[in-house]
Amino acid sequence: MAASMANAMTFSHFQAFLFFAAVISVSFGFLGRRRPNDRLKYILWSFFLFLLVGIGIGWVMYPFSR
Amino acid sequence: MIEENDDRHLRETATTVEPLTGEPVAVRSAPPPASATEGSASRRTAAQDEFRNESRAFATGVAGWLLPGLGHALQRMWGRALVVFLAVGSLVYTGASMRGNVFTSTGSDAFDYLGYIADLGTGCFYFLARTIEKNGADVSHAGGDYGTRFLATAGVLNLLAALHAYEAARGRKA
Repeated sequence: MAASMANAMTFSHFQAFLFFAAVISVSFGFLGRRRPNDRLKYILWSFFLFLLVGIGIGWVMYPFSR
Repeated sequence: MIEENDDRHLRETATTVEPLTGEPVAVRSAPPPASATEGSASRRTAAQDEFRNESRAFATGVAGWLLPGLGHALQRMWGRALVVFLAVGSLVYTGASMRGNVFTSTGSDAFDYLGYIADLGTGCFYFLARTIEKNGADVSHAGGDYGTRFLATAGVLNLLAALHAYEAARGRKA
């Protein structure tokens, strides 16, 4: 996933986005819910919303990028 | 002169209350405590307990800030402690490895200070980030910019976790 280049870890935009969404979703799930089932649902739902909003904002900005 | 232990005002009294309809009803007030001094002593003890609990909760929150996950570990919330430790640690390690900007106290503008406060939120991992990033920040590429955001996110996430640990230690539902 990550490759070493010029002494720095490099991610593509989408990889960085996925990493961020996954880490934050898991953290929120564990902090916000107590039961394992509730945590899993919260993590998946939160991760899905991260993807939806991130990709949605990306498409909204697309016309202004050129 | 009124004596200090005069508890006449606390004596059981019976009051007649006339309801809107029906017969008047006698309502008895609750019996008073055994003595006024005993009541004040219990109040003092309750206040001391509250202060002790509040201090312990505050110390738990500070511990959680200094070492991510420690606040939850002290309360035997092992899953949360591990997740907070790994999440903050991985964000800091990745952010620093991507040559994100680790802000210092010698910032030139308000955004630098805000970044410094956010980075300080990682507690002892702030120094880890500075150790990892030997070549300094490089925000001329997108990777460095992402790294800066990862570091700031790690700090804010840890502050949130410390606040959560504090609330849990206070007995709030968490």
